[in-house]
Formats: sequence, structure tokens, C-alpha cells
Amino acid sequence: MDRTEISERIRREARVAGLRDARTPSLEAVERRRMQLWILTVILVVALSSGAVVLSMWPGRAPDLASPAVLRLGIVLLSLAFCGYAIEKELHLRRLTRLLTDEQVLNAALANRLHEVSLLLEAGKAMNSVLDLDAVLGVILRGSLQLLGARAGALSLLEGEELVAAAAMGDGVAPGQRLRLGEGTAGTVALTREPLLAEGEDGPGTELCVPLLHRDELLGVLEVRAERRGAFGEYDLRALATFAEQAAAAIANARLYEAERSHVAELLELDRMKSEFLALVTHELRTPLTTILAAAETARRPAVREQGATDELLGIIVERSKRLAAMVEDLLAAARCERMERPTALAEVDLGVLARLAVRDFGISGRAVELEAPQHAPVFGDPLLLRRILDNLLDNAHKYGAPPVRLVVEPRGDRILLSVLDAGAGVPEEARERIFERFARLDDHRSKPGLGLGLPIVRGLAEACGGRVWVEEAPGGGAAFRVDLPAARVPARGAV
Amino acid sequence: MRPLVLIVEDEPDMLLLLRLTLEDAGFETCLAADGETALRRIDAERPDVVLLDLMLPVLDGWGVLAELATRPAGPPVVICSATDGRRERTRAAELGAVAFVSKPFEVEDLIRVLRGSLGGPRVPRPARAPALPDVLLDRGRLGLA
Repeated sequence: MDRTEISERIRREARVAGLRDARTPSLEAVERRRMQLWILTVILVVALSSGAVVLSMWPGRAPDLASPAVLRLGIVLLSLAFCGYAIEKELHLRRLTRLLTDEQVLNAALANRLHEVSLLLEAGKAMNSVLDLDAVLGVILRGSLQLLGARAGALSLLEGEELVAAAAMGDGVAPGQRLRLGEGTAGTVALTREPLLAEGEDGPGTELCVPLLHRDELLGVLEVRAERRGAFGEYDLRALATFAEQAAAAIANARLYEAERSHVAELLELDRMKSEFLALVTHELRTPLTTILAAAETARRPAVREQGATDELLGIIVERSKRLAAMVEDLLAAARCERMERPTALAEVDLGVLARLAVRDFGISGRAVELEAPQHAPVFGDPLLLRRILDNLLDNAHKYGAPPVRLVVEPRGDRILLSVLDAGAGVPEEARERIFERFARLDDHRSKPGLGLGLPIVRGLAEACGGRVWVEEAPGGGAAFRVDLPAARVPARGAV
Repeated sequence: MRPLVLIVEDEPDMLLLLRLTLEDAGFETCLAADGETALRRIDAERPDVVLLDLMLPVLDGWGVLAELATRPAGPPVVICSATDGRRERTRAAELGAVAFVSKPFEVEDLIRVLRGSLGGPRVPRPARAPALPDVLLDRGRLGLA
């Protein structure tokens, strides 16, 4: 529906609503008074004429209708009647002229209001028919300029403590221009949240500036400029403020829609990751299971038994079963972390002792770890959880990094920093957050065995112990996984 | 003769309702929806009193008051506005308005103020006139709520 159609419809509906019928009594009153005046004049003339006739027929007087006295009376009466008619005509014409002008005034006022309303309606419809934020901002700016017949203006959105011009037309403001709160006309309006009519402050022109408020939240500022002084008045400011109310609602809607859209995209991504994870789990569990089954089947064959190869096969079965058990343990731990289950009680644990034990066990399995740790490093935590953190990080360093792998424990005031460093390729910056998320394994690690749950478990356990975990680049290259834990007591100076 | 009121107001419904109300109360009326038309009609119709809104298109109420203030003789002006701070009152009085009615208003009060402003000589403009008395009128009674 185009604008002329909308205007036409509004006009029709205004008529139906009876707005224009209110003028009718006024016209009727004039006509009624006019009729009364005429009736009065006619009655007067008839009464006077009949009086004259009756008087002339009075007994004792000869009826002489042609007498000069009666003629004079008749002429006077006729003149009076004519004068009355002329005066009444003049007054009536004046009233009609006034009413006609009134009618024009009303029409103009109505047309003006309809123009505003139809522009608002049209802009409102346009604003709500697009959901893309940039398109909405463009529609708002164009609509406001059209409303006020201006050619220059800008729409700035609030970002933190700054206004950023998101859309601009004409001279003055460039898109992307930044303005602090309280700076310039727009900045002042953002601070006071009141519409402002500014003249000659930033130049010779006039500027209208209104806040975009949605549910008491400032979204931004809309400004319209004209080169001429006095081009806008308070009337225009009010119209723009009304427009801004609708505009703010449209911006809020568009933002809501964008947030919703990105939320849906996140959920879809999570869903995809879960499907991939399920496939991975199935594959990882099936691999040792296949080996176990094959080994058991083989061990049952008499020929194998006779050759005395059973022990070797049993060894394979035990080793693969352990791997299966470890994987199931990982899955359970990850599920516990997801449910945010905290250990029942945190106790004082010596991280120095735990670190030495872990390094020894890794050494036994042929994976060397260099240790730098003080004799004692008491932290608050759960010994089982902390040991698991150490195991997962050291295992991770050996699996994805490269030797030498180093384990460093450093007391830092009321915190203790635990670091696992390797000399591998390191973790690319964009993946440093993602590797702690469940189901996320870096693409070039797809070939390595494992469920990809090691680091998410570390994060969950560290948080359960009141700590924090992150990864950064190690001095001299490689990855440095850091765990920050609360110390049990501040170590004495020089204790390291 | 019924006194003639020039109603200056930009809302069409308000114009119509004020006309009906004031005609019922014994006034003749003529209408203007912007400041420029108001000045033209003051010249053409010579109204006995002007009921002036402040927020108007083309030329606002302040512009009309300022223009009338430069003339040696003109009709008394009653301001009828929704913006009614102390500053507005003082400014209106300085520009020669004889009364200030804030919206929403009571019809009886508006009529009383208009009648009271008739006939009296134009108020001479002192440099600093006291703020005009506040007359509260009820918009709801006009059926505009």
C-alpha cells in the first residue's frame, strides 16, 4: 500500500469517526439565526402595514388609501425593509466568509496532522517490516528526514560510554564517528535524555536532537539538521520525539531478533558438536572393545593355548580394558563437571608432594617430566581432583605437545600458580578458549585417540577447587597451561 | 453582539471541541491552526480575545505574542498550553498575555477567564511582570481524555 492510499484511508476513517461532523451545528446555528431574523422582519412589516391600514379605516375617517401620509408610510416601511435585508445580507456574508476560512483552517490542520500520522504509520510499518538492524536504522533516519523535510541527519547508537554514528545522511556527521557522553548536542541529549532544539551552536543552522529510549534504557540519539536558522521549532521537536519512541521500539526489536538468531546459531553448533562427539565416543569405545574381543576369541583356540601365547593375549585384554575404564571414568567426570557438582569438602593439600608423585608416575610410564616446585605448596582443594588435573595436563602435553615437558609450581601471595609447559607448536590464539569447551577438539588432532574431554574436565575440576585455568604461549614457544589455585596459607619469605 | 474569540490550536479535535464549547457559552468563534494564520485572522476579523496555544507549526505561540507586542493596539491574549513552567508564565506575562491557562483545564474556568479578559484595556507591559495566576482546567470534562 503506498502513501497516498494510506492518507486516503485515514481521511475516510476520520470522516467515519465523525471528526468532521462536529462543524455542522455551527453552520446550522447561523442559518437558524438568519431564518429567525427574516421571520421577525416579515412579522414587523406585516404588523406595521396592517396597523396603517386599520388606522386609515378608523370610523370618522374617510378611507383614503391614496393619501400622501399612507404613501409616505409605505415608502418608509419599504426602505426600512430593504435596509434590514441589506444589513442582514452583509452580516450573513461575513459569517459565511469566517466559516469558510474556519473550514480551510480545519482542513489544513487536519491535513497537517494526517500527513504526520501517515508518515509515522508508514515509517512504523517500514521499521517493523525489516528485522536487519542496519536496514531498520536506515529506514528510521530516512523517515525522520522526510517527516521534517530536512536533508541532513544522523542516528548514533550508545556503545559503552560513547555514541557511535550508525547511520548518517547529508553533511556534518560521518558514519562511525564517535562522541563522548556530554560532548556536543548529541552527547548532551544522551546525558540529559531530553529532546533538544539547538540553534547556532555548531554553526549557522538549526539542529533537532532526541533520545531513543526504550523502557527507560537509552539506545542512542537521533538528530536532524537544517542549514537555515529557525528552520525548526518546538513543534517539530515534539513530532520528532514522538517518532523517536516508535524508532526506539523498532531498534529494540531488531536487536532482539539478532540476539535470537545468534542464539539459534549457537544451539545448532552445539547440536552439531554433540553429534560429532557421539560418533567419536562410539568409535573410541569400539576400538579397544574390538581388540579385546579378538584377543579373547584367539585365546580360546587350542592351537594358541598349546603355543603358550595366552599370557600375551591376556595382557592385551587387560591393557585395553584399562583404557576403556579410563574413558568411562572421563565421561563420568565430564558429566559431573557439567552438573557443577562440587567436592563435599576442600582440605589443605600439599601441591608440592602431589606434583612429585605425578612426575614419578609419568617417569615410570616412560614419559619424562621436568619438575620445578618448592618443597611444600599448600593449597585448598581435593587431593583426588588436583591429581586428576595434573594427570590430564601432563597427558595432554605429551599427547599434543612435544618434549621437554615441564611442571612448575610457583607460590604467588595468597595464590599458587601451577604451569605445564611443552615445546610443541602451541595453541593458536583463536582456539585458546575453545579447547576448554566440551566436544571441541582441534581439527589437526582428530587422528589422535581420546575423547577430547581432558581439558574440559581440568576446567571443571579447577573451578570446583576455586581456581581458574587458561592457556598461553610458553616462553620460547609451545603451550603453557596455567592453573591458578587458592593457597592454604601465605608461605614465609624465602620458603621457595 | 456576541464577543468573538480567535481559537489558535494545532490539534483539529481540540479546535472543534473548543469551538463547540465556546459557542455554547455565548461566544462567536473563528479558528487558526498555526501562528501565521492567527496573525492574518487577527488583522481580518479583529477578534475581542485570542485563545493561544504555544506549541504551533509555522510560527509558534511565542512568535505570535512577540509580533502582537510590537503593535500599538491588539486583542487581549489568553495562553492555553500544556507547557506551564514558571519561566513560561513569566515570559508570557512579559510579552503581554493577560492570563495563562494550563492544559488540561476546566471548561468553566476557561470561560470565566475569557469573559474576564474582555473589554478591559490592554495591559501595559512592565519590564518584569509577575507570573500569571494558574488556572487549572479539566480536559476530561471536554471529553478529550
